[in-house]
Amino acid sequence: MADPGQALTSLRQQFEQELTGARTESDLRGVRDRYLARKGGLVSGLLKSLGSAPIEERPRLGQLANTLKAEIEAALTARLEAAAQARPPKGTVDVTLPGRQPVIGHRHPLSLLRERIEGIFTRFGFLVIEGPELEDDYHNFEALNMPPEHPARDMQDTLYLSSPVRSLAGTAATLLRTHTSGMQIRYMERNSPPVRLIAPGRVYRRDQFDLTHTPMFTQVEGLVVGEGVSLADLKGILTAFARELFGDARQVRLRPSFFPYTEPSAELDISCAACGGRGRLAPKPGMNPSGAAGLAAPNPGMDPSGAGGCPMCKGTGWIEVLGSGMVHPAVFEAVGYDPERFTGFAFGMGIERIALLKWGVEDIRLFYENDLRFLEQFRP
Amino acid sequence: MRIVHEWLSELVEIPGDIATVAAELGLRGFEVAAIETEPPGVIDFEITANRPDCLNHLGMAREASVIWNTPLKVTPPAVPLPTGDVTVEVDLRDADLCPRYCAQVFDVKVAPSPAWLSDRLQAAGVRPVNNIVDVTNYVMLEMGQPMHAFDLARLDGGRLVIRRALTGETLQTLDGVERRLDAEMLVIADASRATAVAGVMGGRDSEIDASTTRIVLESACFHPPAVRRGSKRLGLKTEASTRFERGADIDAPPAGIAHAGALFAQMSAGLPAGPLVDCYPSRPGERQVRLRLERIARLLGQAVPPGDVPRILRPLGFGVDGGDEEWQVTVPGFRVDVTREADLIEEVGRHFGFDRIPAAFPPLASPQPPPAAVLTRERLLRQALIASGFSEAMTFAFIEAAAARPFCPPGAEPALLANPLSEKYAVLRPSLLPGLVDACAHNRRRAQRDIRLFEIGSRFLPGTGEGRAAALAWCGAASGPHWSLEDRAVDFFDIKGVLERTCATFGIEFDTRPAERAYLAAGRAATLHVRSGSADTVLGVLGQLLPAVAEERGFPAGEEIYVAELDLSVLFDADAGEDLRAEPLPRYPSVVRDVSILVPEVLPAAAVRGTIRSSAPSTLISIVEFDRYTGKGVPEGQISLSVRLTFRGADRTLTDEDVQTAMDGILSALRETHGAVQR
Repeated sequence: MADPGQALTSLRQQFEQELTGARTESDLRGVRDRYLARKGGLVSGLLKSLGSAPIEERPRLGQLANTLKAEIEAALTARLEAAAQARPPKGTVDVTLPGRQPVIGHRHPLSLLRERIEGIFTRFGFLVIEGPELEDDYHNFEALNMPPEHPARDMQDTLYLSSPVRSLAGTAATLLRTHTSGMQIRYMERNSPPVRLIAPGRVYRRDQFDLTHTPMFTQVEGLVVGEGVSLADLKGILTAFARELFGDARQVRLRPSFFPYTEPSAELDISCAACGGRGRLAPKPGMNPSGAAGLAAPNPGMDPSGAGGCPMCKGTGWIEVLGSGMVHPAVFEAVGYDPERFTGFAFGMGIERIALLKWGVEDIRLFYENDLRFLEQFRP
Repeated sequence: MRIVHEWLSELVEIPGDIATVAAELGLRGFEVAAIETEPPGVIDFEITANRPDCLNHLGMAREASVIWNTPLKVTPPAVPLPTGDVTVEVDLRDADLCPRYCAQVFDVKVAPSPAWLSDRLQAAGVRPVNNIVDVTNYVMLEMGQPMHAFDLARLDGGRLVIRRALTGETLQTLDGVERRLDAEMLVIADASRATAVAGVMGGRDSEIDASTTRIVLESACFHPPAVRRGSKRLGLKTEASTRFERGADIDAPPAGIAHAGALFAQMSAGLPAGPLVDCYPSRPGERQVRLRLERIARLLGQAVPPGDVPRILRPLGFGVDGGDEEWQVTVPGFRVDVTREADLIEEVGRHFGFDRIPAAFPPLASPQPPPAAVLTRERLLRQALIASGFSEAMTFAFIEAAAARPFCPPGAEPALLANPLSEKYAVLRPSLLPGLVDACAHNRRRAQRDIRLFEIGSRFLPGTGEGRAAALAWCGAASGPHWSLEDRAVDFFDIKGVLERTCATFGIEFDTRPAERAYLAAGRAATLHVRSGSADTVLGVLGQLLPAVAEERGFPAGEEIYVAELDLSVLFDADAGEDLRAEPLPRYPSVVRDVSILVPEVLPAAAVRGTIRSSAPSTLISIVEFDRYTGKGVPEGQISLSVRLTFRGADRTLTDEDVQTAMDGILSALRETHGAVQR
């Protein structure tokens, strides 16, 4: 048979390996049974086998075997005690399992943004009003200095009703409003200056669907009227609004434009966030000749040819946000305000367009598909 | 409008750098769509509808002349003398629609244009045809006057009649299309028939070709709405119609012919055969507008130096008379957009520079009234529904007629659009539900199972018209998925509970009554009612969507969708708002008694509750059904209904006898009224 001394050494090694390998309390009990069981345990088997050793070796081997047995017992006891200590208390839960979440819905991003815009203007002292989505020609066009056959009517292709329908205002409506600007008229017809309001709501145009157009969208109209209200006030209010919504780092400019119901008219542009107003995307670090960190002044000479230009602003460095202007005297005359005494400004913006700019949404149609995977990206 | 840099620089001195030219003009109100830097250099401007005078190079040159403070380099055309006295008879019958009509006969040699001319037209985006047609287009692109050349030999009777088209009259236009005209359109006719649609397009029969030797050159001013109607009705938009419908210059027709005549002579393409015929029955007076310095400052919020007024307005073509405080400004014919002082202030402001206007904040003279209650309430409603797990959807207000019909009251039809985008968007929605169901179906097709959506918006009921509503749709699981829970599909009482909770937010309780609706499953449909005094108003509808409707909108068969719709005017009218008084907390303990009774299965719970309420003393403060059991121990056709009753005295602690007496009364009433047996 094998040398008992050697058998002793290899048993120790084997034990140490198994002990290391034992992970759970039941593993440890298994090891204990295998080594220390009175019947059939490896240690008692070893002790028995000593009987076959030469007589003069027996005392020394016996001592060694007893030491080994004591070591094994001690090691196992220590591990079992440690394991018992580590055993979770009764009623322990697995804290890593997912919790039961109350089901909470999500706000539609357009309603979220509308409320944000209302919040800003409310702090600026604006009243929020709503009105009918069905309108008559007078409030949608004529009172806004767009008589029949006015070429500016082409700017807003209109959806008409087959026969008049009663509107929320109780009037016989003939069309779906193309803008919320009609609310200017509805409010001024019933109220005297001063006026400071916004009118958010849905509007309709006969536009085919594409990445930036849907036949229904959401607009916020604004109107301020008083004695001595000027283009400078328009600039102040809209700059404060644009900076609050898009961030203080944005540059803001007014650019002359045309709307039939304002004179002078202006578009409000903000500097492009993608290129920092440079008109082209920033070169790799170290290659920027100006070396300026952060936002550069918007590009004075624009390059809408687009070659190498910023795709977001088509190389101009600027992004159009909303239309505005000083209320046209003909509008004041239509509602019985004296245009010599009162001046005012108006503005209108599409919430979808602002949402596209603010959140980087690439397709306006997503707002009307109501895909939960889209809606759930926004706050409850 | 494609403006050719090289062409523009012939009319006024401008910077050689095309990007600078584009940027500066862009800041004056001419949005730049594209730039082509390759010579001759093109800037494509988007010209707003109010500035037809800038649909040509001269108009843009005037703007540049202010920007770079340099005069126009325009010399009067060298007009050749007529070789004879051949004229065409012009019969102007409708001066309202054509205030001025000029014509002159030219003897011409038709040939291809020289390269400089055809190159320039091509750069400006116009296809060259022959020297005669090209010169008319050149003049239009240079100074804005659209013109037309007729082959005189092909005009019957050698005369031109400007009249309304006859009903049923037809004309083959230059593009080869046979067009049916009507009396709303103005035409140029010869002795027998229409030969051009005024200001829109000429006719094929009188077209110039290689055999033409004598032409009549037309240069007119047409009434914008007449051209616009003609163009719209024919679906025909041309370079000429675009200019005329925005407003043409009443002074330009003779100048246009003079310019063309000079070019014909210069190119040896033709000479006038007779004098100009100018039909101009009623000359308008000069347009004068007063401009006040103080008014400029008031509108712009920025004082402008008085010298800036003539500096800006004169190069733009305005006559400016007056001192430092006030001016009489004479408006040139080509500025059809300028009729009042504000229009002039815009001109001054544009060139003074909007960037030099300071930013101010208008003072608030008085506090604003509180927001309209409907806005506050819609916000609260939105919060309540989101807290109940519903996500907010927005769907279109116009839908398919077939989808709308089941949601209309019997016999009623949804409101039709006159010019819908397509059949899919043909009618105004009578309910928010069709759109919401479609939104659920869209999600369902994209592997979403548990869907809760709501929408707040306008609906358009046949009869009553536009109104505000809120709709809910729920399909899939009744609760969020979790490893510890068994999935249960949504049922009637889940969505009813949401409505109860939501209405409780507004302090409203509703009665629920079985109902029938074309779009709801039979036996699982109800109307909700609110009562105030003797009035009983329908607040809304609730139930399971009819499976056939669900399947038609793309839902898998066998899946149940529960829907509800509330009339917001009813909900908000019933809301007491903030008129609330806090009640003191009860001072005495309450006593709870549970009772189980056997009643017929068909007996509504509301009837049991009503009997309990009417037979109980005022100390009964709450009734809650907490179990409904059928099965072992309950006879067929009956249910065991368990109700928890809570009693409390307002002025003392109730004794056991008090409660027992009340319970005895209740049980005997239940027995007598419903045959209820206590278990």
